Amino acid sequence: MQAVLSFDQAPPFAAPFRFFLTAPLFPLLAGLLLLIEGPPALASRWTPAMLALTHLIAVGFMLQAMLGAMIQILPVVAGANLPRPLLVARALHLLLVTGALALAAGFLGLFASAFPLAAVLLGTGVGGFALIAAFSLRGIPATSASIRSFRLALVGLCGLLVLGIMLAGGLSGLWRVPLIDLTRVHVNWALAGWGLALLSAVAYVVVPMFQITPAYPARFTRAFGPALLIAVLLASLAPLAADDVAELLQMPVIVLAAIFCGTTLWLQARSKRARPDATQKFWRLAMLAGLAAALLWAVARIVPPLAAWDGWPLLFGILVLVGGFMSVIIGMLYKIIPFLIWLHLQNRGKGRVIAPNMKAVLAESRMLRHLRLHLGACALLLAAVVWPAGLAHLAGLALMVASGYLFTNLLAAARLYRQHAARVDAVLAEAVHAVAKEGA
Amino acid sequence: MSSIREFMTDDHRRCDDVFAEVEQAVTAGEWSTARDTFARFAAAVLQHFATEESVLFPAFEQRTGMTMGPTQVMRSEHVQMRELIAAAERALAAQDADDYAGNAETLLIMMQQHNMKEENILYPMCDQHLADDPELLPQIEAGIAAGGK
Repeated sequence: MQAVLSFDQAPPFAAPFRFFLTAPLFPLLAGLLLLIEGPPALASRWTPAMLALTHLIAVGFMLQAMLGAMIQILPVVAGANLPRPLLVARALHLLLVTGALALAAGFLGLFASAFPLAAVLLGTGVGGFALIAAFSLRGIPATSASIRSFRLALVGLCGLLVLGIMLAGGLSGLWRVPLIDLTRVHVNWALAGWGLALLSAVAYVVVPMFQITPAYPARFTRAFGPALLIAVLLASLAPLAADDVAELLQMPVIVLAAIFCGTTLWLQARSKRARPDATQKFWRLAMLAGLAAALLWAVARIVPPLAAWDGWPLLFGILVLVGGFMSVIIGMLYKIIPFLIWLHLQNRGKGRVIAPNMKAVLAESRMLRHLRLHLGACALLLAAVVWPAGLAHLAGLALMVASGYLFTNLLAAARLYRQHAARVDAVLAEAVHAVAKEGA
Repeated sequence: MSSIREFMTDDHRRCDDVFAEVEQAVTAGEWSTARDTFARFAAAVLQHFATEESVLFPAFEQRTGMTMGPTQVMRSEHVQMRELIAAAERALAAQDADDYAGNAETLLIMMQQHNMKEENILYPMCDQHLADDPELLPQIEAGIAAGGK
């Protein structure tokens, strides 16, 4: 009840925005790493550079943007208010940024204590946030599928974190764990147990809302979250099983991901909006990349030479992380950020100063230019796996350009926010002044 | 018998559909159809607001004693949406497709997040607190119908 009474308490703009603004700097760093390291980075998924690159994107971009968005949407979607949102956001942001950098430094062997440091920073930040989020969701009735799915996603977040800490300790020699097997389990928890679970929770709300499509079928939203968690648990048993059984245990996660992507595309095809906007195009790209990844996984099961090639897990990872999660997150940022800027400026203007509308905050043409850059980066990264000698450096550069462009777009929006806010304050101060003068 | 949540949620979806029709007309460059359809959209939305503000919210406030709670937030969001509707109307009158698109997009997101709070939080609370008032839902239905969509 407490939460419901104050359900307008959207956090201050600075709470989520700090995450969104620094997130693109991490794929920028990942691109720089690939540009410097070149072809050897792409030799397999286990090279130090590739592991660093993967985590710069997964933790630095994906996790950072997702947690920032959660701070914003938990109060709005679920009526779950975080205590002291600005303080929580500042602390989590600091721990997450430094933790992601330490983690990349650990993989690159830059300094000896990097892994334990990353484990402490990310463990405190992400673990602390999971606790606070779970606490704020306590007692909130599950009136929508999204609220149930948020809870399941938090379980996934804790799972990936515990496994990640076990791996970090193993890598720094603090204890002995089966690194390869545990990594496979960690990836399942990170990408499906957390990533896809959260994405589905958000999708139930935003796909029908932004794109005016029918709702996800009730049967789907009821079953998908629990099914996904069971699938992740099954996949976690895979290292204990013989190879062919292990593949069977992995299959449900892949199938569920493909069903999610297919269902979302099917809904988007029924959008009543006149033409797809940048956000919808980023979503479609993401869902198609997800389907392509699932298909690749299936083909690798049928064609043994493909499964034996060190390149296929890289293709799979690029499709899921850059083509899938990055695309969908960028698409959402382009909707959430202009709206939040409008909303905060509108409130600040108190009806006397009109806020610039969403498309005046960030022009559609800039988003579409970024879409082309991002698509180019995805294509070059995939091609670089097949022909590293010729394309690895170029792919790194393309990822830098696309991420840098996203950063400049967000920076431009932030600058507009500051300028307009200053103008609003000046106009309102003048009005107060005029009233005071009249009174005198 | 349908609940307040079901009935009002259906009305939200009806408004969404008309909103999409306007967008189709603007994209096709059919300005006079767009203006007529937008007028229908605005009438439906404003009627929905009016019914909430004059029937549903007072009943909720009286029953729960919460006058500065969720209903107050909803009222202030109604004010913001009325401003956006007026801005979009001006853009249509000026046949400025870009200005319409920017205002309409902002209105859509504002409207959707508002609807979400009502559908997930406020309407379930209304159903819970006002279930024993058999007069209320017919009154709301009559109020919405007065908009004549």
